Amino acid sequence: MDDSLLAVKGVSKTFGGVVRALDDISLAARRNEIVGVVGENGAGKSTLMKILVGVYPPDKGELYHKGEKVPFPRDPKEAAKRGISIVYQEKGVIPWLKVYQFLFLGHEDKYVKFSKLQTDKMKKQAADILEELHVKCDAEVFMHELPLSTQKMVEIARAILSVRLESGEDGTTPIIILDEPTGPLNDEERRELFNDLLEMKKNASFFFISHIIPEVREFTDRVHVLRDGKLVANYDFSEEKIAEEDLFRAIVGRESSEYISKVEIKGLASKTVALTAKDLTKKGHYYDITFDLHEEECVGIFGPAGSGKSQIIRTIAGIMSFEKGELVVNGQKLKASELPYVRLKKGIGYFSGETGKELFLNWPILKNISFVNIQKILCKFMPVINFNAERKMAQRIVQLLRIRTPSVNTDCYSLSGGNKQKVSVGKWVERKPDILLLDDPTIGIDVGAREDIYEVLSEMKKSGICMILVSDDPKEYSILCDRIMFVMDGRIQKVLSPDEFRKVVGI
Amino acid sequence: MTTRPGLSREWLRKNMTTVGPIVFVIAVVVVFQMFNPFFLKYQGIISLIYSMSYFLVAACGLTFVIMTGSFDFSVPSLLKLSALLCVLYIEDLGLWVIPLALLLCVGFGFINGLILAKFNVPSFMATLGVSIVVEGIARYLSKGFLQIMDDKAFRSLSTTFIAGLPSVFYWGMGIWLISIFLALRTPFGRRTYAIGGNLIGAALSDTNVARHRIYVFMLSGFLSGLAGVLYMAQMGGGSVEMGADMAIPLFASVVAGGTALTGGVGGPHRTLLGVIIITWIQAGMNMLAIGRDIQMLTFGLIAIGMSIATIDRKRKIIK
Amino acid sequence: MKRSTGNRLIPAVIVRTLKEQPVIIALIAVFVLFSILFPDRFLSFLNFKTILRQFITLTLFAMGPSIVVVTGSLDLSYVGIWMLGGILVWLCMPVFGLLSIFVILLLGVTTGFVIGVIQTKAKIPSFILTLSLLVTYWGLTALLSGGYPRPVRGYGFITTRLIPYIPTTLLWSIPIIAAAIFIMKCTKIGTYLYAIGSNEEGAQLAGINVDKYKILAFTLSGLFTGIGSMILFQHLGGSTPVELNLNTVVWPLVAIVLGGTPLMGGSGGPQRTILGAFTFCVFYRGVYISPLHPYSVQLLVGLLLIVSIIVSARGLKSVTIT
Repeated sequence: MDDSLLAVKGVSKTFGGVVRALDDISLAARRNEIVGVVGENGAGKSTLMKILVGVYPPDKGELYHKGEKVPFPRDPKEAAKRGISIVYQEKGVIPWLKVYQFLFLGHEDKYVKFSKLQTDKMKKQAADILEELHVKCDAEVFMHELPLSTQKMVEIARAILSVRLESGEDGTTPIIILDEPTGPLNDEERRELFNDLLEMKKNASFFFISHIIPEVREFTDRVHVLRDGKLVANYDFSEEKIAEEDLFRAIVGRESSEYISKVEIKGLASKTVALTAKDLTKKGHYYDITFDLHEEECVGIFGPAGSGKSQIIRTIAGIMSFEKGELVVNGQKLKASELPYVRLKKGIGYFSGETGKELFLNWPILKNISFVNIQKILCKFMPVINFNAERKMAQRIVQLLRIRTPSVNTDCYSLSGGNKQKVSVGKWVERKPDILLLDDPTIGIDVGAREDIYEVLSEMKKSGICMILVSDDPKEYSILCDRIMFVMDGRIQKVLSPDEFRKVVGI
Repeated sequence: MTTRPGLSREWLRKNMTTVGPIVFVIAVVVVFQMFNPFFLKYQGIISLIYSMSYFLVAACGLTFVIMTGSFDFSVPSLLKLSALLCVLYIEDLGLWVIPLALLLCVGFGFINGLILAKFNVPSFMATLGVSIVVEGIARYLSKGFLQIMDDKAFRSLSTTFIAGLPSVFYWGMGIWLISIFLALRTPFGRRTYAIGGNLIGAALSDTNVARHRIYVFMLSGFLSGLAGVLYMAQMGGGSVEMGADMAIPLFASVVAGGTALTGGVGGPHRTLLGVIIITWIQAGMNMLAIGRDIQMLTFGLIAIGMSIATIDRKRKIIK
Repeated sequence: MKRSTGNRLIPAVIVRTLKEQPVIIALIAVFVLFSILFPDRFLSFLNFKTILRQFITLTLFAMGPSIVVVTGSLDLSYVGIWMLGGILVWLCMPVFGLLSIFVILLLGVTTGFVIGVIQTKAKIPSFILTLSLLVTYWGLTALLSGGYPRPVRGYGFITTRLIPYIPTTLLWSIPIIAAAIFIMKCTKIGTYLYAIGSNEEGAQLAGINVDKYKILAFTLSGLFTGIGSMILFQHLGGSTPVELNLNTVVWPLVAIVLGGTPLMGGSGGPQRTILGAFTFCVFYRGVYISPLHPYSVQLLVGLLLIVSIIVSARGLKSVTIT
């Protein structure tokens, strides 16, 4: 670590005394290099970066700048003095500011004379730095007029500028943290961004946070892998050739074992096809997605974050629209952009594990369960809700799912996470859609609740409902799915049987 | 074992909106009774009923809109328009003027909803604009003059006495009960609460959110129009200046009843309490010869106060 | 990235300006329309003078709110400040004499500050908040005045004619308008307010203390309204409590939206509002002298408001699910 520009040693951080976000992390960045920091959601990447940038302090750990021990910064301005600056994943751009205004945002005090901004000086300096960093744009246009990748470049230029303005001495090489910079970009823009980054390497070092493995492999010099708050692997790309699968396994976290190449499984030709996707494409998200979904089958779409799996399932749900291709359900072709309620009427239910989205927290359990099932609890001749029927339905579901609650009238905000999830699943159990889309169904809940939910889902499958699963937990796929599609970079790479999947992932 | 995160805060807020208004009503009655023992006597009751009933009808309409998290500024204007249409054309069209007025108000409600759903204009702005247009039409048609009618049939709508109370009372109560039924026992009501309670949750269900919001505004328009008809039947005449500044008391009565601006809570059953509070305070103030302006001040403060008390700070207003 | 200069230099600049500020087209259209329809009454000196007077009044009341709208909020309290301020002047006259007029300024600044604090800390939507405040102030005005008009004398000197043919209020208003534009376009404060209106979260991430600047925006609004009320004090009739007419209260908002400042904020500002105010006044006068007056005026103003809002709101995205 002697030639390092910035290094952390033994950093730990715990939230609320319970959640151990970081556990004894040590890593470093050298001058003029791009260091990748990778891991799944919740691995601790953003916590570490926030500590570096001064949002909050670590519980334990040391910071070294150019080999010398320094205190952790207490706020972003101090961090900038130390040379550390961050480009956020999203919402960092202010559309209606001009480029030069945005570049100097927060540092205007250095350009003020008698309350008046010295805009000429700002414009000139803006143009200078844009040229220096090879950002091709005019300093006087509005930010929203620039293409997305250029906007990101301007954000990076701003981060570098912040460091220069705050630290004063020109000697400090800025260390810019890039938090998932390629999210909103399409392939072409991604290319441009990376080429520009490689250019910028001469002037700065970068921490490149990502979970998109191909990118990390191609554009970083070294990579640190975080999992569950611990540093689990370090790779140096100049020294060894790392396969994507190795990286992937390190992130997902199972013991590495032999990697078996694919064997295509033939579809269950005997059962009826409930849903067909053909060449579904949405630029920047997924391409040529083609598969069939049969009755009583659960298909998993598996891949690292950013692979497109969430977008695919959300497209089928109606939350996103697709651009090319065909989606056919029960013989009916679906329109490319349809709202979820239309898809629901056509038989596709969407269940998201994020209970904030789906559940009406200030409603009692029975109302939550009945809401998508209103048709079932109406009185005989009038569109009037039969409270008795509603209560019976809710009680049935509560019993089936073993939801722990004093009564079906309890408001949902007071339930524990697992029970909330069960209520959320419960309404779909009652609804019995033809196709149920599961988007991270058991995120963040305890094992016991999980088991109960898996049991219910299996029962539903046996009764003819087919499902598509997207999740971050490989075990879930192996329990629930009959077939698993491995998706990366927006394309289906392989289709695996549960056994093959287990071998690949190592469980 | 169920955990109860943030229970006390949520619980307090919920119960305050139920208990608060009741306490308020009792306080109002007591205070005004002290000033004038005739406050609750028969004549007083009758005049209270006259000022309350049509108001309740309009407030129910506004309640539905606020339940979805939106705002409807055009309620008082549609009320006026409907009332004026009745008095202006009762001679030419007879009682057909009533369905005409109602239809027109529903149409404006539809326009409100459309501007909101199709053009994404915040509801208060859209309805503000529409209310100005509606009042402009009212002004244009009535030329600003006071209009008087004496069609017995029409007036009997509100002024027929049944069991000692004017018919407008029964209209008011009837609409109120139907509104409660609509809100609490029909899918329509559920969806209304859902849109206000969790827009995303509603969108992910089988609710056509855009269409439902338009329906809600149409309902509000309809009830505003009905309130106007009842008002005109009861007053027998009016000009475009009548019922000036109904907006704030109307809004105050909905919020005072416990229907929060953030939507998803409350409902027409609560609104009765709010209407009672507001109209009785109004009557009391009139009795004490307190000027109109100070009354407005009071209602403005009540509106702000109850908004603050009932707003769910965790959520942004949908608009 | 060079912008295309077009075939000929001059038209390209004009085309771009017209595209960015469509209100200019509206202004020209309205002007031409009424000039053709009613040449004698519209193109008269008297008419222009009236338009000018109306313009000054409207603009002075619209400067403050246009600053707030840029940050994405609304401020409807201006009429309230003017009314209550007037009564306070009357009350203070016996004690402070002619200095009492500064009470309006004090009231404006305090009001703005309080609104800002309540809006940022209690998170009440600015629309409801300022509207309720307006009604409250109106009530207070009536309370303090006892319901009677209370004329105040002694401020005529504010509007004494200094230069022939040019109303003095115009002379007073020029520095005010200039100050508003200066603050928004040439200072750090202005940049921050635009940033907050354009992307509040992004501004927060960039290290801007959003609450502080929002409070500042409301305070500035109150300040400008206060100054404007001071200038127009005698002009508008001293401290007379007026009937609260929601329709006229909305005019400055129409001027703001018409001028091209979107209600969501982020762009536009006082300089656009001037154009909006001018267009509105021309439009209003045109309708006023037409046979449509007086009953259709309000109707048309309402339609104008709706159309402006729809046109300016078109860029907004609907609520997305994820």
